[in-house]
Amino acid sequence: MSVRYLYAVLRAPAPGALGVGLGGEPLELARWSNLIAVTGTLPDPPAVEVAALRAHDAVVRRLARRASAVLPARFGSVVRDEPALIEWLRRRAPGLREALSLVDGGEQMTLRVYGSATAGVEEPAAGALEALGPGARYLARRLHAHQRASTAPELAPLRRALGRLVRAERVERHDRSPLLVSVHHLVPRGTSARYRASLARARPQLRPLRMRASGPWPPYAFAAAAVDDQSSMAAQDSP
Amino acid sequence: MKPRRAALSRPRAGLDTLLDGAGPSLLDLVDQVLNKGIVVDGEVVLGLAGVDLVYLRLSALLCAADGLRRAQRRRRPPRRARP
Repeated sequence: MSVRYLYAVLRAPAPGALGVGLGGEPLELARWSNLIAVTGTLPDPPAVEVAALRAHDAVVRRLARRASAVLPARFGSVVRDEPALIEWLRRRAPGLREALSLVDGGEQMTLRVYGSATAGVEEPAAGALEALGPGARYLARRLHAHQRASTAPELAPLRRALGRLVRAERVERHDRSPLLVSVHHLVPRGTSARYRASLARARPQLRPLRMRASGPWPPYAFAAAAVDDQSSMAAQDSP
Repeated sequence: MKPRRAALSRPRAGLDTLLDGAGPSLLDLVDQVLNKGIVVDGEVVLGLAGVDLVYLRLSALLCAADGLRRAQRRRRPPRRARP
């Protein structure tokens, strides 16, 4: 039985042929209001192979060249048929529209941050906690841990170097030494060279942490939040 | 006719071979394309348990890739000073 395979959700693409999908199938559009889902009909769900992953990414990148706002779908996302897809677009419209506005004109850079589990992380000042009762001290430590997990405060020098280049950030804390954090930054399209230059300037201030950047990517890390409860990453968007 | 579950069992073996020996750039691709992006209300047919496996192995492999990269840097011959 064939499946309808989802590649991305976007707003109005530039006119013209969109090309083919990862199985060579023609790409199809399903519309609800101003939301467009780009799909392909495949005979079977694709196998998880390197070539298929690269082909999926290639389709998403091609779509991103044709539309300024693209939300990539995860590899393997399928729907029964077009009515089910359109119903899904209708139900998820508010989140999809908000996410499309966020990623409009943007692309993603990803940083992997390596180091020891305590490198660059300050514990709450002992003096600040002494005046608190045991319950308040517990809450203060929990708050500090939450802030650390959601904002990666040890990367403050990097954020200063990047300045307004970063429109939004998603943080994944791993705490699996030496991989500490993955940070995904949404930056204006065409600025990846500036991003890497800013990263190079910030490196001395971030030692002993080590960083590896990849990208630009389509905004994969900023797409999941469009459908509410999927994202487990902490988010910060610039005002 | 083959049972539909056969299509789901195949991806797990594919995931194992996918990640073995993967370098940092392939790991990044796997993370973006397989761990992120929109899912249509849980209808990811390729075996969702396999995606959890990918996430767990991905963290370990990203660590290993970093270690390998640093070891390669240490093995590079030192630059000779110009006369």
